[in-house]
Parts: sequence; C-alpha cells; structure tokens
Amino acid sequence: MNWSEITVHIPFFGESIFLTIDVFIAWILLIVLVIGAIVYAFRKRKFPVIRDYLYTTNHRKVGTLYMIFGFIFFLRAGLDALFIRLQLALPNNNFMDFQLEKYNETFTSHGTMMIFFAAMPMLIGLMNIAVPLQIGAKDLAFPFLNAVSLWLFVAGGVMFGSAYFLNSSPAIGWTGYAPYSTAVYTPGAATNFYVFGVQISGLGTIFAALNMIVTIVRHRAPGMKLIRMPLFPWASLVTSFLIVIAFTVLAIALYLLMFDRLFGTSFFGGEEGDPVYWQHLFWFFGHPEVYVLALPAFGLFSDIISSFSKKPIFGYPAMVISLALIGFLGFMVWAHHMFTVGLGPMVNTFFAVTTMTIAIPTGIKVFNWIFTMHGGSLKTTTPMLFAIGFIPSFVMGGVTGVMLAVSAADFQLHDTHFVVAHFHYVILASTILGIFAGLYYWYPKITGYQLNETLGKWHFWLFLIGYHMTFLPMHLTGMQGLPRRVYTYGSDEGMTALNFTSTIGASLMGVSIVILVWNIWQTNRQGILVGDDPWDGRTLEWSVASPSPEDTFTPMPFIECTDPFWDAKTKGQKLKTAPNPRPAPIDEHTVLPFLMALAVLVIGFGLIYQSYLTAGIGGVAIFALFIIRSFRDEHTSFHKEGARHE
Amino acid sequence: MKKLGIFPLLFLLAGCTNSTVLNPKSTTGKEQAFLIWFGLGIMLFVLVIVFFLLARVVINYREKKNGLEEYRPKFISPKKQRKLELIWTIGPIVLLIILAIPTVSTGLKQSPVAEAESTMDGVHIDVTAKQFEWTFIYETDKEKHNILLLPEGEPIILHLSSMDVIHSFWVPELAGKVDLVPGKPIVYRIENPEIGVYKGKCAEYCGVQHANMTFTVKVVAKEEFEEYIAK
Ligand code: HEM
Ligand SMILES: [Cu+2]
Ligand SMILES: [Cu+2]
Repeated sequence: MNWSEITVHIPFFGESIFLTIDVFIAWILLIVLVIGAIVYAFRKRKFPVIRDYLYTTNHRKVGTLYMIFGFIFFLRAGLDALFIRLQLALPNNNFMDFQLEKYNETFTSHGTMMIFFAAMPMLIGLMNIAVPLQIGAKDLAFPFLNAVSLWLFVAGGVMFGSAYFLNSSPAIGWTGYAPYSTAVYTPGAATNFYVFGVQISGLGTIFAALNMIVTIVRHRAPGMKLIRMPLFPWASLVTSFLIVIAFTVLAIALYLLMFDRLFGTSFFGGEEGDPVYWQHLFWFFGHPEVYVLALPAFGLFSDIISSFSKKPIFGYPAMVISLALIGFLGFMVWAHHMFTVGLGPMVNTFFAVTTMTIAIPTGIKVFNWIFTMHGGSLKTTTPMLFAIGFIPSFVMGGVTGVMLAVSAADFQLHDTHFVVAHFHYVILASTILGIFAGLYYWYPKITGYQLNETLGKWHFWLFLIGYHMTFLPMHLTGMQGLPRRVYTYGSDEGMTALNFTSTIGASLMGVSIVILVWNIWQTNRQGILVGDDPWDGRTLEWSVASPSPEDTFTPMPFIECTDPFWDAKTKGQKLKTAPNPRPAPIDEHTVLPFLMALAVLVIGFGLIYQSYLTAGIGGVAIFALFIIRSFRDEHTSFHKEGARHE
Repeated sequence: MKKLGIFPLLFLLAGCTNSTVLNPKSTTGKEQAFLIWFGLGIMLFVLVIVFFLLARVVINYREKKNGLEEYRPKFISPKKQRKLELIWTIGPIVLLIILAIPTVSTGLKQSPVAEAESTMDGVHIDVTAKQFEWTFIYETDKEKHNILLLPEGEPIILHLSSMDVIHSFWVPELAGKVDLVPGKPIVYRIENPEIGVYKGKCAEYCGVQHANMTFTVKVVAKEEFEEYIAK
C-alpha cells in the first residue's frame, strides 16, 4: 500500500492542507482523547481543580503543570522515537510512510520536542516544586512571572506540536542548520513552526531562570548560607546562569533566522551571509544546553544518594566547585560540534583539548557519589535505584564523549549513529533517569501519596535494560558507516541484527513508560496518604506537610548546618525557628499569565503563516493585558483575603 | 551492574569485523582508527575502575536486614579524603594528557583547511555537491557524477565546495568526513588509498533525499587512473 497517496484536503490560512492518512488518524485520536478527558473531568467534577490550576501562581502547582505538560510532550516525542526505530528495524524497510520527508520530519520533531518541550520543562518543573521547599522559601521570587514562564512554554510546545496535525512538520533537524533552514530551501510554514515554537518557549525558559536565580539568592531561610544549601538548589542556580547566557544566544540566532526567512535579510545564506555563523550561534547555545539538562540531574542525584545512603554527601565543596567548573567550561567547547567544517587545525585542536578538560570535574563528581555510598547503609528504593543505574550509564556516555573530543577520530564518528548513541547515553542517563528519580522521590511532596515501589522497580529495570539495548548497538552501527538522519541502510552492510536489537530495546522502554503511567494512575486512585517524611529525608522539604501547602515555613526555620532536618531529627529536637523572617513573595489567583501566553500564541501563528493582521491582533491583546496587569497589585488582594494566607 | 560490564565487549567482538571505520584502507583512515582504538582503550580502563568501585560499594553497603540499630555511618578521615580527592583529580588529568598527545599531533596534521591556506602536492580533485548529486572534476577537466576514481598510493587533495546547502563527504574506509559549505571551499587530504571499491555517503543532512545521496569510490592502479582522466 502506498500510504502517502491517501490524503484529505482542508483549507487553512489561505493555504490548503493535505492530510496524509497517518495525520488523519492522529486527528481522530486527538479528538477522541480530548473529548474523553472532558467527559472524565465532568463526571468526576474536576472543573474546579482545572480552574484552580489555570489561575495558580503557586510554585508547587506551577511545577506540577510543568511536569504534566512536559510528560505529554515526552509521550509524543517518544512515539516519534518508536516510529524512527520501527523504520530502522530492518534494511530497506518501508514502515508505513516513514521514509524520506516523513522520516526527516519525525526525527526533527523527536529531537526538538525531547530537548525543548519534554526534558527541560520536566526539570524546571522539579526545580519549581523542590527548590523553594529545600531552601526554606515560601514561593519563587516572582510567582506571577513563574506562571507566565509556564504558559509560554506550553504555548511554544502546543504550537510546535500542532505542526504535525497541520501536516507542516519542520524537517530541518533539531539543529536547524542554515542554509537549509532558510527560505530558499525550506520555504513555507513548516520551518517557521520550529523558529517560533522554540523562540516562544525559550522566552519562558529565560524568565524561569531569572526567577530561579533571584529566588535562590534572595529567599533562602535565615542562616542558610549558600554553602549550607543542598546540591539540587546549587545545581539549579548554576543551571539558571547557563540558561540566561545560552538561551539569549539561541534567541538571537532564531531572530536572525526569522529575519532571513520572513524579511529577506541574508545573515546565514546568499552572497553576504555565512551558514557557519548559524553553527557558531547554535552550538554556543547547544553545548551549554547539554549541561542545562545534566546539572539539575547531578544535583538531584546527589541529594537522593545522600538521603538513601544515610550519609552527608562526600566532599561537598568539591561537588559545588565541580558544578560551577562544568558550567564554566561548558561555554568553551562549542566548536567540537564543528570539527569538520574547516575552521582549521589550530581551532580544532584548541577545542579538542578544552573538551577533554570537562572530563575532570565530571570525574570528581562520579567518584564523590560512589564514596558517598561508601560506608553508608544503602536503601534501594526506586529513586535510589535510578541513582545507582545512572552512574555506570552516564559514565559510559561520558567516555564516548572523550573519544569524540579527539578531533581526528571525530572526523569518522561525527554525524553517525555513534554520536546518536553518545548523546542519548548522556541525556537519558542524566536527565531522563534524573526526572524519573525526582518524580518518585518528590511525589509525596506533590500529591501526598507515594508511588508504588514494586511497579517502580519494574519501571526501572525495564527502562534500564531497554535503554542499553537500544543505544549500545548504535556505537557499532555508527562505526560500520551508518550516518545519522538517514531512513534506510542496505542489507549488505551487516548491521541488521544490531539495528533490530535497538528496536526491541526501544519497545522495552515504551513498555516501561506504560508501567509508569499505570503506577501514577493507580497511586492517585488509591490515594493513601504517607505523611510528611516518608523517606526519612535530610533536607527542609521533608519538614513541611505533604502535599506542600501554599503557606509553608510558618514559623520560619533557622538553619545552622547542611542537612538541617536530619540534624534536628537525630538530636530529637525540632528545627529552630527564626524570630523575624523577611516578608515572603505572595502567590496570586490570576488568569492573566495564561491569557498572555495565548496572545503570544496568536502572534506566533500569525507570523508562521505570515498573516501580519493576525499577529497584530495578538500584539494588541498582549498590550491590553499589560495594561490590565498594571492596574492590579497583589499586595492589595493579599490584605483583603488575608485569611487565606495566614 | 556488573553484568552490564561484559555487554560492550561482546558487542565489540561482534561489531568490529563489519566495521568500515575500524578496517581502514588508507593511511589517513588508519591514523583515525588508531585514535579511536587508543581513546577506547583508555576509556575502557576508566570504565572498569568505575564499575568495579560502584559494584563493590553497592554490594558491601546495602542496608543490613537487622535494620538501623546497628548502623553507624563510616566516615573517611579528612586526611584520607583529601588524598582520595587528589587521586581522582590527578589521575584523569594524566590519562587525558596521554590521550591529548596523539590528538594534538594528528589533529593538527589532518584537519581540513580553508582553500586559500593550502599549498599541497598530490592529485588534485574538485568535489562539488548539490542536492542530491556529487560532481568530481579532475585536473584534466574531466567531469563525472557520483563515481570517483582515485590512484592507489598517492596523496589525494580534495577541493570541496557546495552549490546549495551543506553536505558532507564521507568514505568510511578511506577517511573521516569533511563538510562542503556553500561559498567556503575547503581542502582535505587523504593519504595513500589502497585498491578497492568503497561506498561514499553524504553525512550532513541536506534534504529529502539525503539518505540516497551516495557515491562509489574506486581506487585503482596509477596507470589506470591516468588513462581514465585522460579520456
Ligand atoms: C526514549 C527512547 C528514545 C529513543 C528510542 C530514541 C531514538 C532516537 C534515534 C534512533 C535517533 C536518530 C534518528 C536519526 O538520526 O535518524 C534519535 C535522535 C535524537 N534524539 Fe532520541 N531517542 C529516545 C529518547 C530521546 C530523549 C529522551 C532525548 C532528549 C531529551 C532525545 C533526543 C534526541 C535528539 C536531540 C536527536 C537528534 C535529532 C536530530 O538528528 O535532529 N531522544 N533518537
Ligand atoms: Cu557539545
Ligand atoms: Cu546529505
């Protein structure tokens, strides 16, 4: 059957859209799902809850929404991954219509969504939930801005995700290399979806990072010096600085690309332009981005390993310094992605050596984790299993990174499945295992319930086995000459068995995700409350109620050491309290952030289809919302409804 | 965890026989394959240490069944801790320096350079790419699509440029990739190819037919090559 010939035809924004059959099926599934969700919410009377979350600026609720939307995009991008693997399962395969352009669209959506709309948001969600609780802040410094960040991310993600449903998925790879991404080679809406989807959610990410920095600098509990802060907030702080620097560069690159595409400039193409400039800008963002994904996971694993080993972290100062060093060095290595574009021998060698140096602080962290466990009493709960699984997996990704830093070796390995294996090893081990660990660990703080441990262990083992089965063989297919971003290979290339193994591994990971979803569903249905401190934790978040209330830390604790809660517990005391703490930020009930993001979404769609009238309407709407906002003052409403907060 | 350790080795044994990259047919390719093996060797050493330590710690310090009453965390004395931290700071530095030496020397020699900076002796061939076709032009102005003939044993100087988007020239058996960037000709050198027929691929995503933008490379005896380009 020839799938691509079955099409449905719909007019949209003056263009007509052909829906191939898979898109048509996706539409039907989407409609069924949305109707199902509405009916469910109606039956269970969930509308007040939905309204509450739509209006919320509370850090835990915003964080939860980050997690939920991030997880939805994770499922979508995961489906893309399965389609990629099904197409690559056998040589000369024709899985549905996932060849040629469709394949290109699929890996582009997969990569872009995983990085920008799944991994980062879920990490930011965990930061939102845990950082204020760990440092003794009542909320983030700017609760309103926090909600704006969230909805901007959702707007960007929904916009990017809708491209598929309008049959105009971008097909430029997640790296969007010029000149292929300029209007000369990819005219029309598809590539615009990439430009504006990433731009809009990126703006939200920058706001979130600024918010996090101010929160951590300004709103720690009295006595909690920076050197008494747990490592997850530390990692969040360093990460936020990386975001502020890296994402502004990405924003600039995307604006320039927007000008090239919409307004006829030629920064990255044509006679005057230079496509290599795009690569510099992109990777000056792109490499630190890897650490934006990894550092929060490092912090989180540090806390988890320390908790479940019943020991303080080994070498705390070294852990902090190495976080900062990794962040700093992360900005000096971007051209290792460009060894083959002819920057010259000196440049290549310089970047090869700087890249290698990152292995040193990373190694320090690995050994410190191992020696945190040394001499402890390890409780292999699900979060701890993820942490133990993380260490060898991550190191395997790290060592291939060092191999890739060898510039002349990279000439061979660059842009092959070896690289695909390398970055999945690194990102899945740190970010994805980290997100899972954090989810199991802090689930009691989010909902009051604890996820089922048996199902959790099934999830862990299936995922870990599937992960190694998927990506280990890719090192070899890469060295057998399989470039990345190709939809087929020959049966004579001797890589059939390896590719087939990969595909089986990917489906194991798929099964493990189903188990996770089932676990969440069951846990919430049974609704067994587990109390404030189910893991016998060490840090402040375990001293407040579960789920964390909107008004935490009254009275405000006074901190005298690292792991203050543990210290108090072992001495059989209560946490000391501070006599007169600083006034805390105030959360608000407002729908303005949601509406602002909606207006930005309208602007985005207007620009994507170059309907400047639509964009203008969105612009007016956002201006109006700013005006409304400037007439309001959360302090007034706080004093009126004082009872809710006190 | 320990079981995972043998996995890579098994796979490696299975994979190397088919590996094009690790069975190179030119001096350039051999130097690159050596670097891959060298890097892999050092890194396997690191892996073994980490896996061993981790496995030991996880096995030895699992929570004892008799519970927490007996538990006293064992701490390493500050002096020993400083020593340990020094070991895993200096150890990796030493390993990286060992790896950096061949990296720098081969990297300096092999890195592709901009057209203007090159003055090299050898057989010069212009390689031009466009969506989705390769064009090879020899010193005699002979022009051929998607088939590249090379003389055995000579230094080959490729002058690469693109007519549209970025592509990448890759013959896994002969040498690593070089990008073809529009408006920025690059020169890349392959030393000493051996006789044989090899598959070439485009390795930089360039559009719909990127996967099918392949070409064939035939390395032949010198006389045959001269005859070919004269025709
Ligand atoms: C869950 C299981 C996953 C599987 C089976 C999977 C599989 C793949 C495969 C086979 C490719 C290569 C496609 C090609 O080059 O032809 C790919 C590309 C990619 N993946 Fe994944 N992946 C998974 C998860 C993730 C995660 C969690 C992330 C990041 C957070 C991620 C990020 C990427 C990126 C950035 C690319 C590159 C896309 C591009 O070339 O533009 N993947 N994935
Ligand atoms: Cu990088
Ligand atoms: Cu190509």
